[in-house]
Amino acid sequence: MNKTVPLFIAAALATSAFADDDKQEMKHNGDGQMNHAHGAKHDHGANHEHESHEHHAMAHDHGDMAMIAATITHTNEISAALANGGAPVVVDVLGVVCDFCATAMNKVFSKRDEVAAIYVDLDKKTLNLVINDGSDLSDKQIEKLAKQAGYRIAAIRRDNEAMGG
Amino acid sequence: MINTILRIALVSMSLIACATAVARPVSYAGGWTLIETSNRASSAGLLHYTMNYNLSVGARYEWQRGSDTRVTAIQPTFLAKRWFGRDYQANLYFSGGIGTAERKIGGIESSETVKFVGVMADWETRSLFVSYEGRRMNLGQLGNQTMQAARLGWAPYEGDTGALHTWLMLEVDHRKHMDERTSVTPLLRFFKGPALLEVGYNLSDPSPLFNFTYRF
Repeated sequence: MNKTVPLFIAAALATSAFADDDKQEMKHNGDGQMNHAHGAKHDHGANHEHESHEHHAMAHDHGDMAMIAATITHTNEISAALANGGAPVVVDVLGVVCDFCATAMNKVFSKRDEVAAIYVDLDKKTLNLVINDGSDLSDKQIEKLAKQAGYRIAAIRRDNEAMGG
Repeated sequence: MINTILRIALVSMSLIACATAVARPVSYAGGWTLIETSNRASSAGLLHYTMNYNLSVGARYEWQRGSDTRVTAIQPTFLAKRWFGRDYQANLYFSGGIGTAERKIGGIESSETVKFVGVMADWETRSLFVSYEGRRMNLGQLGNQTMQAARLGWAPYEGDTGALHTWLMLEVDHRKHMDERTSVTPLLRFFKGPALLEVGYNLSDPSPLFNFTYRF
């Protein structure tokens, strides 16, 4: 038997997939809220008041590097789904660098009945969803689906925040 | 019998798709990927199914042209770690395989158990790419093979989702079992939706490189 085979198995077992990068970890607390540190930092611009602003089910740690929270990207499919009463969701996704990433998320999320429209924006590094009127896709479900696609999410914005309102 | 069916299926797909690539050997959970590679040493096809975000299992057929050796194997690939950043992604994969290797020696067909292990690592942004791949293959009485390859890539523009993405790449490979041990291959990578195509030409060991990957 090749001596390298047991080495491979040992290496594979010893290394944990998706080992957490502390700086980008998203954690759930008891009530389903998510906290994330450093992975996505938000810019507190002119139309964004820190004390009064309410991130949807999330508490953010504000670091040095600022990032403007992206709003939903309008495609024909997204606009049509919004016009039909769908709810907008914008998800900041880490590691989205190519079309394979977009394909993976398209395949995984489009299987869900709750999803009326989907678009992965490589420029903004966002997953844009419109949830069917009357349906719901929780933050935890979105995080789980992103993980199935091979990615990690940094922030989720819904409704007015997703629309930039 | 199973080997024959597997071989026919993979060769057929190879002919349809023309060639292979080494991009993302683990896909999304429930996804299938066809990967074909054709370089100075061999032509190979790998059809894999991603069972979980960190594990794919596939069937591999490889024809090593120099020695006319045919390898048929089952290949699991394990995503050991993925580093995420807002503008980058990096991956570390381990793969292995076990199967059969066949070669005619003195007019007599010889068959051996083949085992191999490999490691792949890459780091990429939307405009820069670096990767390393190494593989050690034991073909029993037919010998051992070790290969390593490293790549640098640059995208002259950042394509939108679904648009054509183009990369300029340079690959350096080292194969101990070949006469020309080290070689250099400039290549072009084209990426669109679920399909990836690479076309290059080996300058040191004159031969074409033609890789193709499709996810479905």
